[in-house]
Amino acid sequence: MATTTAAITLTSTDLLTDSLSLSVTQTLYKAGTTTGLDSIQYERLEVATGDVYDIVDATAAGANKANKIYIANKSTNDAYYIDVYIAALAIGRLYAGDWAFFPLEAAAATQDVGIEAIGGAQIVEFALIHEGKTLVAS
Amino acid sequence: MATTTAQFTLTSTDIADNSLSISNTMTLTTAGTATGITETTGLARKKIASATLADLITIASTDVTAAKSAKVYIKNTSTATDKWGLVGVGDSSGTPIYIGRLYGGDWMLIPWDANSGEDITMTMNDATATIIEYMVFFE
Repeated sequence: MATTTAAITLTSTDLLTDSLSLSVTQTLYKAGTTTGLDSIQYERLEVATGDVYDIVDATAAGANKANKIYIANKSTNDAYYIDVYIAALAIGRLYAGDWAFFPLEAAAATQDVGIEAIGGAQIVEFALIHEGKTLVAS
Repeated sequence: MATTTAQFTLTSTDIADNSLSISNTMTLTTAGTATGITETTGLARKKIASATLADLITIASTDVTAAKSAKVYIKNTSTATDKWGLVGVGDSSGTPIYIGRLYGGDWMLIPWDANSGEDITMTMNDATATIIEYMVFFE
C-alpha cells in the first residue's frame, strides 16, 4: 500500500476579529479501511471555451469508493474561471489560482467530473487518487 | 478587504516510482477580482445522528450570493475510518447530486455556486453521532 497525505492550512489575520489558523492533514485510505489508496492519474490540460469537457469518467470500478480529486485553475487572469461539474450540475467556480479537493462518489456512469472554461482558454491541473477504474479495451 | 489563504499539499513517496509533491496556495477573492473575500460563517460544528438525508449547509442560513466565488470547507471529525458521510449538492427533500464520501478524518474544499435549491447535504452511513465541521467563505 502507498501512503499519501493531503493537507490544508487556512489562515487569515483580518477576516475575523481574531486570527484564523486551521490545519488538517488526512491520509488517503481505501473505502472503510486503513489501507492507502495506490492509484493515481495526474494531468495538466489546456481547456478551451465553449463546452463542458469531462476530465474524469465515472466507471464501475471506482464507484462508491473513497476516491479523491484535486483540481487547480492555473490561469492568472482574475476574470477567468472554470465551472466544475458533477454529472450535469455546475457545483461551483474556480477562478484564476483557485483549487479544490474533494471525495468523488462516481456512483453512476453519468457522474463524471467536467469543467468548462469561461472567459478564455485556461490551464487546468488535476490529480485523481483512486481505488480503480474500468479500463476500456482498445 | 481581508486576506485569507488556503494552502494545499498532496504528498507521497510511494504511490508511484517517483515521489509525488503537489503544493498550491490560493487567496480567497471575490468573483472576478483580486479583492479578498470578507464574509464567512466561521468554523461551525454540527452533530449528525441520523442516516437520513439532511441539509448540512443551506443557502438561506448563510446568505451566500449565488454564482460567485464561494468556497466550502467540510471535515468529518470522526476517527472511525469505516464511517462516512455522503456529501451532496441539492435539495434534501429531493435527490441531490452526490459528490463523494467523507470518511472519518477526511476533509474537502469545494467551490459553491449556491444557486436556488443547491444546498449542501449530508447523508451518514449509519446513525452513529458524528461531528461535522464546516466553514463557508462567501460574498
